[in-house]
Amino acid sequence: MQKFITGSPEETEQLAERLAATLEGTEVIAMFGGLGAGKTAFTRGLARGLESEDDVSSPTFALVHEYSGKYPVYHFDMYRITSWDDLYTTGFFDYMDNGVMIIEWSENIQDFLPENRIEISIRYISENEREFEIKGAKEI
Amino acid sequence: MKILAVDTTASPVSAALLSDGRLLGEFYLNVRTTHSQTLMPVVSALLEASKTDVNDIDVFAVNAGPGSFTGVRIGVASIKGMSMPLDKPCAKVSTLEAMAYGMPYGEGVVCAVMDARCSQVYNALFRLDNGKVERITEDRAVSIEELASELECYEDTVYLVGDGAELCSKSFEERLENIVLVPENIRFQHAYGTAKAAMKMIEENKLCSSDELMPVYLRLPQAERELKARLEKQKEKG
Repeated sequence: MQKFITGSPEETEQLAERLAATLEGTEVIAMFGGLGAGKTAFTRGLARGLESEDDVSSPTFALVHEYSGKYPVYHFDMYRITSWDDLYTTGFFDYMDNGVMIIEWSENIQDFLPENRIEISIRYISENEREFEIKGAKEI
Repeated sequence: MKILAVDTTASPVSAALLSDGRLLGEFYLNVRTTHSQTLMPVVSALLEASKTDVNDIDVFAVNAGPGSFTGVRIGVASIKGMSMPLDKPCAKVSTLEAMAYGMPYGEGVVCAVMDARCSQVYNALFRLDNGKVERITEDRAVSIEELASELECYEDTVYLVGDGAELCSKSFEERLENIVLVPENIRFQHAYGTAKAAMKMIEENKLCSSDELMPVYLRLPQAERELKARLEKQKEKG
């Protein structure tokens, strides 16, 4: 497990860029952390680290956004997903092994996450500071 | 009688053309591209290479599930779209049955399994006798554990096919002795099996119209349990 503290959204993005540099293209990255934790900022940094120039925003309504970069990036938001049927009909399982999947609100699909995954838990410290606990990733 | 069959239920895409039971051509692609980008080029290449006019196709067949959520929809929608303007009938083929027809060798039981994740599989059993395929069970979603107990009742050779075959063979290894993991070239679903299954449906008058053609999704026992839990919760509140 690796721990990091970031002092601003920009630093969060930079941390994600460093994680991006260690990826091989088919990872599943499960993020845990409530509203305002910095999940979208982290995803923005990750997409940029994978050379994507696409706009990154939370797919709360679309459920999944796709960004094209060095590898395809599939950005999921599971906020509204509460059952297996919900998850299945997003096509979640069809995206596996086809690109990097990064998931907001992984809390909601915890039982269905693949065993081989990267887990990122984000803890709120203060207005701008966050603690990132990263499991299952290569050394960042 | 010409049959055009397609399969897009898992990561490969395939299309086959049968004329009076004879395979005129089959295309199979297993590249990491979406079926929505590969299926139609594959179909039109197959028709062109075999010098077949789409108007001469009598039956349009598709593996309508179980399978990947988007894959099944792409296959079904494409076959619907091709058959509708020509007003030709469709064969709504079970992916599991197509697998059994794709492996018409040996005698015993064909156990078709697709990985549904979380230790569950989509499954059906078929009896294989002298090249003939007969269905033993309906298509269903079961846990690998339950399937193993059920298979203990069979003394015949059990042939495992499908993308869940390897997974099952590993977990059956210690309990069952009569298991055969079918070689890769005939282990997975492909459109030839779909077309063969469609021939049987033609004989039995089981074709449907393009309107009636719909994707088939099997509910996982796990999903059933969740739904039940949710309904009970609602009841308590209400």
